[in-house]
Amino acid sequence: MMSIASNSQPLLTMTMASAILPQLIIAFGITLALLLVAWKRSQRTIALFTFLTLFIALLANVSLQAMPATQVTQLLKVDGYSTFAFSLILISALVALRMSHSFLKAHVEVHDEYYLLLLLLVLGAGVLVASDHFASLFLGFELLSISLVGLVGYHRESNYSVESAFKYLVLSATASSFMLLGIAFIYSVTGDLSFNATIPTAIYHQQGLGLFFQLGLLLFVSGIAFKLSIAPFHFWTPDVYQGAPTPITMLMATISKVAMFVVLLKCIIAQRYLLLENFQLFLTSFAVISMLLGNVMALQQQNLKRLLAYSSIAHMGYLLIVIIVTSAQSLAFTWQSALFYLAAYTVANLSIFIIIALIQQQNTSSLYQEDISLTDLQGLFWRAPSYALLMILGLLSLAGIPLTMGFIGKFYILSQATIAHAWWLIATLIIGSAIGLAYYLPMIFKIFADTPSDTLCDTQKMNGKVKALGGDIIEQVLVYSFITFGLVFGVLPEVINQLIAS
Amino acid sequence: MTLSLIMLALLITGALAWRAERYWQGSAKWLALMSLALLAITFAGFVINYAISHNNDFAQLQVLSRINWIKTFNIQYSIALDQLSIVLIALTWLLAIICVLVSWREIKRHVGFYYFNLLLTIAGIIGVFVAVDMFLFFFFWEVMLLPMTAIIAIWGHEKRYFAALKFFIFTQVSSLLMLVAIIATGYFHLLQTGQLSFYYLDWLLLDIPLEISQYLMLGFFIAFAVKLPSVPVHSWLPDAHTQAPTAGSVLLAGVLLKTGAYGLIRFVIFLFPQASVQFAPIAATLAVVSIVYGAKMAFAQQDFKRLVAYSSISHMGFVMLALFAFNSMAYQGAIVTMVAHGLSSAALFAMAGMIYQRIHSRDLADMGGFWQSAPRMGGFALAFAGAAFGLPGLANFIGEFLSLVGVFQVMPEFAIIAALGLIGSAIYGMVLFQASFQGAPKREIIDLQSRELIICGSLLLMLLAIGLYPMLLLKFSFGV
Repeated sequence: MMSIASNSQPLLTMTMASAILPQLIIAFGITLALLLVAWKRSQRTIALFTFLTLFIALLANVSLQAMPATQVTQLLKVDGYSTFAFSLILISALVALRMSHSFLKAHVEVHDEYYLLLLLLVLGAGVLVASDHFASLFLGFELLSISLVGLVGYHRESNYSVESAFKYLVLSATASSFMLLGIAFIYSVTGDLSFNATIPTAIYHQQGLGLFFQLGLLLFVSGIAFKLSIAPFHFWTPDVYQGAPTPITMLMATISKVAMFVVLLKCIIAQRYLLLENFQLFLTSFAVISMLLGNVMALQQQNLKRLLAYSSIAHMGYLLIVIIVTSAQSLAFTWQSALFYLAAYTVANLSIFIIIALIQQQNTSSLYQEDISLTDLQGLFWRAPSYALLMILGLLSLAGIPLTMGFIGKFYILSQATIAHAWWLIATLIIGSAIGLAYYLPMIFKIFADTPSDTLCDTQKMNGKVKALGGDIIEQVLVYSFITFGLVFGVLPEVINQLIAS
Repeated sequence: MTLSLIMLALLITGALAWRAERYWQGSAKWLALMSLALLAITFAGFVINYAISHNNDFAQLQVLSRINWIKTFNIQYSIALDQLSIVLIALTWLLAIICVLVSWREIKRHVGFYYFNLLLTIAGIIGVFVAVDMFLFFFFWEVMLLPMTAIIAIWGHEKRYFAALKFFIFTQVSSLLMLVAIIATGYFHLLQTGQLSFYYLDWLLLDIPLEISQYLMLGFFIAFAVKLPSVPVHSWLPDAHTQAPTAGSVLLAGVLLKTGAYGLIRFVIFLFPQASVQFAPIAATLAVVSIVYGAKMAFAQQDFKRLVAYSSISHMGFVMLALFAFNSMAYQGAIVTMVAHGLSSAALFAMAGMIYQRIHSRDLADMGGFWQSAPRMGGFALAFAGAAFGLPGLANFIGEFLSLVGVFQVMPEFAIIAALGLIGSAIYGMVLFQASFQGAPKREIIDLQSRELIICGSLLLMLLAIGLYPMLLLKFSFGV
């Protein structure tokens, strides 16, 4: 095995550096932020600084979109797909940053750690999407998990913070150790940790160490499935979604899902695991269980964040179909489907969580965020039409109704499954979507429902608040721009298709 | 281009009406009425102008525009017109105006938003009738569904959420099956010609082996059978009709059900002729069961609107039976029945709405003897009930007669059982009329006012015109 040091080429050339420029900017930003904290502790400064870092990284990342795939040492490989995924991650982080602002303002303390953790989380995700090696995968995975644990429990005084943070910490650590063991098993068979390692074909035929290899693979995938909240590794999801501060739930629903899914797809495609029949069987059963269980469990939820947690389980089930039905001839299409679906999923989740955060801001009288239940949506359309519109768009997108990106995403998945003749998966998807409608639609009806007359004075108070909030231009712009994004990309998905394909 | 602009204009005036209602109360309905009338005239002008300048009678599909939309899947924005779609769009315009008129006083809450939804539904329906790219068709198919569901869920009666949910889930699940069939056919095109295509005219040239096409056909068939509706997937219809506001019922019965029949004609029978012939016995059986079951259920109802809703199932059964007879006479009968049912059921639902506004009940037990106080209303009600059970001289008679004659030549046993449905329709028609207008007067109601006279009068006029001079419709071949 060739060690890195004996490589005759320089370790890091300029092309490599420019390929991982966005990640470097974030890393540099983290160091600077630490210095900044030492120099001046001010909420305003650090928020602005974090914003700038993320924004510059986004600009750098967008400019990379047209670049050819570049291998950066053995560890990382930057290509169009990872760049696109990283753009999604950065956008989500920017939105979450803005939504965190007001709830952090409610405290007297200065929250430097919060912003540092946010940046670390983004860095972890950035390493994950670009990783081409089990080592970098694990590095990114841990960066992401540990900073998320910190963020989930950030609200020390909130009722749920200890419970949910602890739950997340324990389960996340278990998952990482499973994954590490799995990687070790895989390494013991292949002797190489790179994704591009050539695996002896005997293993695919279950000869020799095949069984050992499969065990390792199962452990590895279960670690990632934990993060993706795929059933049966989903048990933490509803509790943590509910307990975490809303902007953090938003991050978990977007950044963590996008990064994990991209790296999983990358790994599976590169190592051709799907040639193993057992593995395919496992993934199929995961997908089917997730689709059905996620949707069925969401039906009875009254708490909005728990409901979204279950719906995210179902959506990850839909996405798994993309991996299961992929074949060597359709790799480009697989990437397109997966990334488009992730983009649609991210935009929809961002839209919904923006509105949840905004509603919480209005409702909350104490310093801490309360639970948000379905009844809080009652009559939203007549109180704050723009909020309601964004919420409805997000829900319709999750439900996969035309006019939204979610539909195009579903169209991609269905196309891929149809080509592969995966009729049973399609049937499950259709049943899952039908059950899904049974909770998405009542939410939309709630939004349209009239506010009961006995809370009329309450409504008027709300109206006053909405107007008062109208002064916050950034949030208004955010809401309107997401409405526009959702509609424009839903009707003209070709824009995004071109971005992914380039 | 003009057509696209018309649809766009509907969307824009809808949005305008929504905004305008905030500043001037009562402006939304006028805006909606004016724009519908104006756009209907524009549409008529466009069709006539096109027919003259191209010297074309629209017997074949005339492709009007074809623009690239989603290149990745070779999806185009392509729309076309032929006689079938023109007739159905004309019906849509007429009923759209009726819808605005019946909502004139009924809608009191969120008026602006109501008209926005109404106009959006109409734009979607027109889109369904003109789209010839299957993806675009599916797109419009769903776009018309959303505002319709909103109309039921926001302005409906007491159990509106349940009805709207049921309506949406039935339609959505079945249309997902259709989406899979659409995708599969598109990829079959890729296999056969090396080019992915969702273009209807490309698909017509495809030669799909029967063992594949029967499944593809089934995907489409289920979606349209739900919309039509046919037994056993009809159960959304009575709920949706009963709970929807009057205009919602009118639109639902008048046009939305016709999109199902339209889909059967254009996408099931024309695209998969072999598979449809093979499937015909099953479809015809379902149709006959719908006819008899619908009629039987109708005269067991106590709710005015529910009764009319079940009668719709029965009437649409005739359409399906006629279509699967593969006989040109039955085919023409099916189209006349579609138009006639659109008019007569719309009229009956409008009537139900007028009674509801006066007595705030849809229960037949609360009605009776209205003839005493409202003879003009009674006269119209009798005429519409007559239309529903196929009284000669009115349009439904022509449609059902032609259908039955056509079916008898091919499948006599089905025609005989279907004819039983006519007896059933006479019973429920009379039950409806007697329970509401005859008997001891239960209370006094106000007779028709001028706006309502216009609604009833224009619908009756159309029914009479087609009934007495069926060549209005029969002179077209409708692509056969």
